[in-house]
Amino acid sequence: MNDIVRSSHSHHSSLQQEQNGQNRHYKEALLPAVDIIEEANALKLVADMPGVTPETLKVEVDDQVLSLEGEIALNMPEGLSALHAEVRGQRFARRFNLSREVDSEAITATIVNGVLTLTLPKKESHRARRIEVQAA
Amino acid sequence: MFDDLKRFETGSSEQYDWLNQLLDGFFPDRNTMDIRAVPRGSFPMINIARSDEAVRVYVFAAGLAPLDLIIDVQDNVLTLRGQRDAVSGQHEEGESRQVLRRERASGEFVRSIALPEGIDVERSEARHVHGVFEIVLPKREELKPRRIDVQAA
Repeated sequence: MNDIVRSSHSHHSSLQQEQNGQNRHYKEALLPAVDIIEEANALKLVADMPGVTPETLKVEVDDQVLSLEGEIALNMPEGLSALHAEVRGQRFARRFNLSREVDSEAITATIVNGVLTLTLPKKESHRARRIEVQAA
Repeated sequence: MFDDLKRFETGSSEQYDWLNQLLDGFFPDRNTMDIRAVPRGSFPMINIARSDEAVRVYVFAAGLAPLDLIIDVQDNVLTLRGQRDAVSGQHEEGESRQVLRRERASGEFVRSIALPEGIDVERSEARHVHGVFEIVLPKREELKPRRIDVQAA
């Protein structure tokens, strides 16, 4: 009925997902809601990942693709049966294509109360500059 | 058991609405929705599970600190209310910044959900871990399953 209710062992479920291969792995993940804001010197990305801890969060940049992944770590007692489930999954995952101006070496991430905040700084050469309009 | 599930059914996602309405025309009793059902993806999302001892409600409220969620139970209806501020698109100098994407819910919210009968509200408790609230609502003693031993004659 629902992974989160059924299996309290996150280790077990991640093992299972690895066995089932990459595709299933992405299909079963929940898509976190995100806000993205353009700042002068950086892009700010905020993602809702309730239940994800700093230990279960994985943020990676590979070939201009930013991937966010996090396992929902909840200690649930044995012998529960689901009555109602809006969260039907054990993990969050989402990927974004980065643009060239993002300095992927300088990305920083924090997660507080299940909200991930990523700062994606722009390279020095791409930062905002105000262009003055000259009088004719 | 199945009555409970029907009571908690949240309805299907929006893209199937037209199909549902069409089908409802042919089979009027097919999918009666609970009066408190909300569209999928409402904030905060809620899971409910039960064991022999208790009903457990999991509230997935990322961004809320422990004191940000107000939990009330009255007449077997659990009500959750609180507020979550939007991430500001303001620059230090007060210049507003372009918001490229805004999917996260913000502002005040209230969600109510009907609980199964037989909850001992007095012994209820709640915990908060990493943006998830766990509300434990124990069943009343007299409603817990009980094994009856057969006595030797």
